[in-house]
Parts: sequence; C-alpha cells; structure tokens
Amino acid sequence: MKNNLKGITLMSFFASTLLSTQLFGANIEQLAQDVELLKANLESNSKSGFQLAGYAAFDYSDKDFSGVKFAPIFHAKYGDIFQFEGELEFNVDSKGETVTELEYAAGTIFLNDYMGLQVGKFMSPVGQFVQNQHPSWINKLPATPVGFGHDGAAPTSNVGVALRGGLPKMGDIRSNYVLFVANASVYGKVEDGAIEGSIDANGRTSSNGAAPTIGGRYAINPVGNMEVGISGSFGQISDVDQSSSTRDYSVFDVDFMYNIDAISLKGEYVQQDIGTSDISSFDTEGGTWAAWYAQASYLFAFAPIEPVIRYSDYHNPELQRNQLALGLNYLFASNLVAKLAFEVNTNEDSAVPSDGLYNEDILRMQLAFGF
Amino acid sequence: MKNLIKITATLLLLGGLNSASAMDLSKADIGNGAAVWSDVCMRCHNVRLPEDLNKRAWEYSMNHMRIRAGLTGQETRDILAFILASKTKDDAHN
Ligand code: HEC
Repeated sequence: MKNNLKGITLMSFFASTLLSTQLFGANIEQLAQDVELLKANLESNSKSGFQLAGYAAFDYSDKDFSGVKFAPIFHAKYGDIFQFEGELEFNVDSKGETVTELEYAAGTIFLNDYMGLQVGKFMSPVGQFVQNQHPSWINKLPATPVGFGHDGAAPTSNVGVALRGGLPKMGDIRSNYVLFVANASVYGKVEDGAIEGSIDANGRTSSNGAAPTIGGRYAINPVGNMEVGISGSFGQISDVDQSSSTRDYSVFDVDFMYNIDAISLKGEYVQQDIGTSDISSFDTEGGTWAAWYAQASYLFAFAPIEPVIRYSDYHNPELQRNQLALGLNYLFASNLVAKLAFEVNTNEDSAVPSDGLYNEDILRMQLAFGF
Repeated sequence: MKNLIKITATLLLLGGLNSASAMDLSKADIGNGAAVWSDVCMRCHNVRLPEDLNKRAWEYSMNHMRIRAGLTGQETRDILAFILASKTKDDAHN
C-alpha cells in the first residue's frame, strides 16, 4: 500500500514534471515568437528604409530561347513624405551581351493627401499601357501590342517633373490626375550610318534645342475597377543630327480599363504628331504615328487558366501593320504566370517589301514572375 | 509576472513605434480601405493578396501604388490598414 502510494506520488510527480516541461516548452515557443515579433517591429521602426521589388521574365519564340529579363525595382522612402522608385532593366541580347536600361528613377514628395511632386525619370504618364502594363507579370501576353514598344507610337518615358495624385471624391466617383513638364523627345534614329525617321520618346537629360514637353492625364473611375483616361502633351521636337531643325510635337491618348469579376478588358489609342521642317536633312514632312489595341481576357473558375485575345494596329509614315494575338496563361500565382501565345502579324502596306519582318506569325512562350 | 513584463515591454515598444511609425494609420478607416481595395486593386494587374508581402514591404508598395494608381493619401492609409489587418499568422512568408 505504502509502495503503491509511493508509486502514485512518483508517477504524478513525473507527470507534473512532464506537464510543466511541456508548459515550459510552450512558454519558450511563445517567448521565441514574441521575440521574433519584437525584432520585426524594431526592424521596421525607422523612418527611412529600403525595399526591393521587381520582376523577371524568360522567353521562347521562333525556335530560340529569345529573352531573359531581370528588372529589379528599388523602393526607398522617408516616412510617408518621400518615396523613391527606381527600376533597372537587364536584358541579354542575341550576341550574349547584357543590355542595361534605367527604366525609371524618380522621387516623389507627397505635398499633401492630393498632391505628389515627382522629379526624375518616370514612365510616360500618357496612356496606360507603357506605364502600367509593361511589367511582364502584368502584361497578359508575352509581347507588347504593336506600336506600344520602344520607338513606337506611344511615348516611353520622360525626364522632368510631374505633379500627380488622387482627387477628392465627386459623389461616388473617384478621379486622378498627372501634370508634367519634361525634356523634349528627339526625332530620328541613326541606324547603319543612315537616319531613320522614328521618334525617340525615351526620357533624356537634354531637350536638344527644342522647347520642353508639357502634358497631363486626367482619369475617372465611374464604377469600381473601371478607369477611363484622357491624356496628351505638346511642345517641340528637334532632329537628332541637327538641333536647329525643330518641329511642332503633340501627343493625344485615350485609355480604358475595366475588370468585371473574371473578365478583364483593356484598350488604348495613342497618336504622336510631328510637324514639318524645311531644313531637315532626312525628313521635311513629319507625320503621324498612331497605334491602338483592344484586349479581353477571362480567368476560369475551375482552374487558374486564362485565355487572352488582343488586336493591335500601328501605322506611321513608313509602315502600316496589325497583329492578332491569342494567348493562354496558367497562373501558378497571381504574380507567377506561364504564357503561351500565337501572334498573327500582317503588313498592310504593299509599298513596304514583305521581308518577313512584319508578316511573320510567331509562337511565343514566357514565364513571368513579379516580386 | 513574466507575462506582465512581456506585455509592458510590448506596449512600450508599440507605443514608441507608433510615434516613430512611417505611416500613421491611427486615423485609417479599415472599412473604407476594404471598399477602395476591392474597387481599385484588380484593375491594372492580378490581385496581390495581403499574404504576398510582409508588413514592411506593404508600406513601400502602397506608396508605390499611391503614385501609380492615383490614390489620395487617406485612401492609401485606409488600404494599407486593411491589408495589414488582413494578414494572418498563416501567411507563412517572411
Ligand atoms: C494604375 C494601375 C495600377 C493599379 C490600379 C494598382 N497597381 Fe499595383 N502595380 C502596378 C504596376 C505598374 C506595378 C509594377 C511596378 C513596376 O514594375 O514598375 C505594380 C506592382 C504592384 C505590386 C508589386 C510590388 C511593387 O511595389 O512593385 C504590388 C504588391 C501591388 N502592385 C499591389 C497593388 C495594390 C494593393 C493595389 C490597390 C491599391 C494596386 N496594386 C493597384 C499598377 C497598378
């Protein structure tokens, strides 16, 4: 009996030790978690700081592994009064060389709740595609619509200042604006010793003798997940080889986006106009560079599969082409997308020799990741 | 006792944190944040869920989206408050 009692006492003693060890263990775990939390809090407990984002994409087209892109984005801020954002774009070209581009590098001072003053190089505030659809994980097809890539109809970036922000609601309707002043673009591109008539609307640190570009965009959100924007700019543009050969320059754009549950609709029309120049060494005429696209996609509910259809059209004084692109995407996650697309390219201008450049149908594949 | 010290330390830290916090969310309206979030954040790209980024990264990305999407300062803080409140322990990300 005594022994029994002893046994029970011992057992309960062990049990309670076990229990308290367990409790103790749980306590330590809890403590470890708290320390982690405190550490995390301490870590974010600073006014200025730095954070990495960006995207990467890998392409296959035309029997080649045709593209490798790595585009890190650096975010730095001071409290909520200043934000810097800079995107570097690294690409490997067909010769194996690395092409680097500073896509944008701009700082924004938030003057108040409705105004941010942005300085530096920023994506062109004209339209939506260039600014908001160019990252590969966002673009629902592997390539850009015709006319919306570099040297197309849509301006790419600007070096200057912009005032931008959201406006107070009008009833239920939200709206936003951008006003900017930037260095002028340049007309003409030197290609194999000759000058080609194309508009270089990539931000540069000189206006090359031309008056600056002044522009803006105003957009409203009539209902949730819909935006209609109108934008444009005007100023001067000068020839790449002759800064005294200045011309009138203007841009006009309307854009549209609407997301209804699983359906996403996007469209844009953009037009750049260049005036005449009597003293130009390669083109006295000038002309219009215009492009538009319309895109629809649908995300199935039974599987993360998204078919996409897009039509785009581009014409300038030298070419006239269009493209129908059909795509099928698999979304591993909202920011990790595998794309398969077939592009039917058509050269509409019989005067331009069909060297296959704008007539080829292309199968493209891409894996895109945004982080 | 241990718990008391823990709570006090946490509170102190949090109190200090607030005054030095980058984004003052004390006047943020989480309900409005949720409404604007669902009206805005699926327009340009696939929705990025609260679990996608850590809390610190969200502050930067919301400043970034404020510029991109033309949000007001108050909308930005409301959405950030909503996102941070929606994060759970199961967000097994760093
Ligand atoms: C006007 C279009 C637009 C809207 C609306 C928009 N985004 Fe974005 N978002 C972008 C673009 C463009 C990028 C990619 C930035 C880049 O690559 O330059 C991006 C990137 C991101 C990223 C990746 C990290 C980063 O900071 O680059 C997150 C997260 C994100 N957005 C969340 C949101 C949330 C949350 C909302 C709703 C408030 C939102 N976005 C609304 C255009 C938009």
